[in-house]
Amino acid sequence: MSEKATQKLVETYRGAQSALPGAGGWLARRRETAIDAFTQTGLPHRRLEEWKYTDLRQVLEKAILVPAPAHDGALVLPELHSATAFSAIDRYVLVFVNGVYQPGLSQLAHLSKGAELCALAEVLHEQWAKDIVERRFDDARQAEDIVDLNTALMSDGACLRIRKGVKLDKPLHLFFLGADAGASHTRNLILLENEAEATIFETHMGEVASFADIVTDVALGEGAKLNHVKLQDESSEAIHLSTMRTRLAASSKLSSFTLTLGCGVSRGQNFVLFSGEGAEANVDGAYALKGKQHLDQFCVIDHAVPGCTSHTLFKGVLDGASEGVFQGKVVVRPQAQKTDGRQMTHALLLSRDAAMNAKPELEIYADDVQCAHGSTVGELSKDAIFYLRSRGIPEAEARRLLVLAFLDETLELAPHEDARDALKLLVSDWFSEAGL
Amino acid sequence: MLEIKNLHVTVDGKEILKGIDLDIGAGEVHAIMGPNGSGKSTLSYVLAGRDGYEVTKGSVRFKGKDLLDMSVDERAAAGVFLAFQYPLEIPGVTTMNFLKTALNAQRKARGEEELDAVRFLKLVREKAKPLNVTDDMLKRALNVGYSGGEKKRAEVLQMSLLEPSLAVLDETDSGLDIDALKTVAEGVNALRSPERAMIVITHYQRLLDYIVPDVVHVLSNGRIVKTGGKELAHELEKSGYAGYGADAA
Ligand SMILES: Nc1ncnc2c1ncn2[C@@H]1O[C@H](COP(=O)(O)OP(=O)(O)OP(=O)(O)O)[C@@H](O)[C@H]1O
Ligand SMILES: [Mg+2]
Repeated sequence: MSEKATQKLVETYRGAQSALPGAGGWLARRRETAIDAFTQTGLPHRRLEEWKYTDLRQVLEKAILVPAPAHDGALVLPELHSATAFSAIDRYVLVFVNGVYQPGLSQLAHLSKGAELCALAEVLHEQWAKDIVERRFDDARQAEDIVDLNTALMSDGACLRIRKGVKLDKPLHLFFLGADAGASHTRNLILLENEAEATIFETHMGEVASFADIVTDVALGEGAKLNHVKLQDESSEAIHLSTMRTRLAASSKLSSFTLTLGCGVSRGQNFVLFSGEGAEANVDGAYALKGKQHLDQFCVIDHAVPGCTSHTLFKGVLDGASEGVFQGKVVVRPQAQKTDGRQMTHALLLSRDAAMNAKPELEIYADDVQCAHGSTVGELSKDAIFYLRSRGIPEAEARRLLVLAFLDETLELAPHEDARDALKLLVSDWFSEAGL
Repeated sequence: MLEIKNLHVTVDGKEILKGIDLDIGAGEVHAIMGPNGSGKSTLSYVLAGRDGYEVTKGSVRFKGKDLLDMSVDERAAAGVFLAFQYPLEIPGVTTMNFLKTALNAQRKARGEEELDAVRFLKLVREKAKPLNVTDDMLKRALNVGYSGGEKKRAEVLQMSLLEPSLAVLDETDSGLDIDALKTVAEGVNALRSPERAMIVITHYQRLLDYIVPDVVHVLSNGRIVKTGGKELAHELEKSGYAGYGADAA
């Protein structure tokens, strides 16, 4: 460990250590191991294959790495489109400002029986929380290593446990607002026991130079079902690092969809591990980037058991001098026969200066499987634009129609109808604002 | 309505139209026939304003205005419509949404009130029915998975909805069975009016039995080499283009 950003983060840990949740308990010891490991490896950099397109070391060099202050005083949630995107949907809301849970802004009345929801500090005495934090997925080591940073510094987060057979009656909305510049380290823990079901919305917004480091650990019991819709609309100075790790027991189902509109530099990691047969994971997303935005989607699906299905489709449009990255891997272990694995990524470049790097990979060690992967990078078809214009549709509108049509295929995969409509509206607005 | 004078057009450095003169008055239907590669589609694209067609000489006036000076969508809003020889497939945009966007864009450009969903739906159903365009087709992505004949009928539906003052039909009859041909011809004839003009590009006199033209032109090697009445189509059907300098194909 020599470089500055790593050092600063380690110092932050040393300074905050005693005040972090779980001091004196198992987590304190776990944090120590994690910070040691992090000190060893340091922040990832471009010489590591998995970080080739996003040099986190360089990105964080100039970032504000000290924790954002606990926000005090009256706070009004922003009235931005993306802030209110889901507000017409009857839902529970858990608000975090600068990474700190805000009971006053949250709406949690009458949570269904059998659903337990609390902030990180309150759950640490529970065995399930310990189990879930201790997990490692191990199929993309250098990508997962960064979780150590979060383990050492995690200070708050949403923890949801749904008991066997219980279905959460309304979506749970985790709303993260960056109100001041600075870092936050969030850990969400989600456990759906056998046959339990839940829908979670996750929004990240803010107009500040925040560094949000989020790890969401999910465990799905047999037959459990999680729908997850994430919306990212932060400022162009924001750095967003998120890792979602989902372990699926037999016949469980994860449907996760991410829409990214606002970010400065964003790295979204998704790890899926199938541990029981007949499970299904859909990890999809859409994005629309402009200016100098940089978005890196990293997705590893591990078919460790037979008979599971995984589908991944990421589609995005890139304008200005923005840059997109998709790195994905579907691993099919020797015993994982009857796997159905698909991973696709398609990008449209709207400007000459925009760029896309796509690298979907398959690693197949079983023979009786159905797997496919692919990626395309293209531009809007001039002929199609001409055809629409020849019917009187102005050029900007023609482009907008074609781009929305392009994104529609993946937006359709967002696993909640009203949320899906809300996302479509946001994307449509994005074009009006981008003035394309 | 349309005055084309000494029009020369180059595509990729190659001269395709070599001095076209064409005068079409309101209410008239002109047929253009001619061998493959003679420049018929090129002429239609130049009128619609497609990129890559460079006018090196000549002029085109539409309703007294310089057509070549207008953008593609301005031309459409001003009343120019091209039924494509090969209509494009547009995945993800439903035919219904496309038609509504197009109609309202044109109305807006002309300073007219846009149609709301209900009025639009009523109108589109009314226009679609005689053309045998089903609700199912309207709900699907524009031209995606349409058969050759369905694509052509969809073009005519667009035309009857947009009610252009100058319609250019580029081989709208090709690929149609005899019933569809009649349906399409009826759709076109329904639009004939003293305020509208039409250019019907075709290889077959058969279409012209249904859409009876006022004037027939033979285009060959980038030039109009003969102009006559509707009987010219019959002559061509018998004798072919030999003798019309048909060396371009
Ligand atoms: N991009 C291009 N570059 C060079 N030549 C071209 C290009 N596009 C068209 N041409 C040529 O222009 C000529 C006229 O083509 P056009 O499509 O207008 O013919 P057409 O009369 O419509 O023929 P058809 O009856 O087969 O539809 C042809 O020789 C064609 O090869
Ligand atoms: Mg042609």
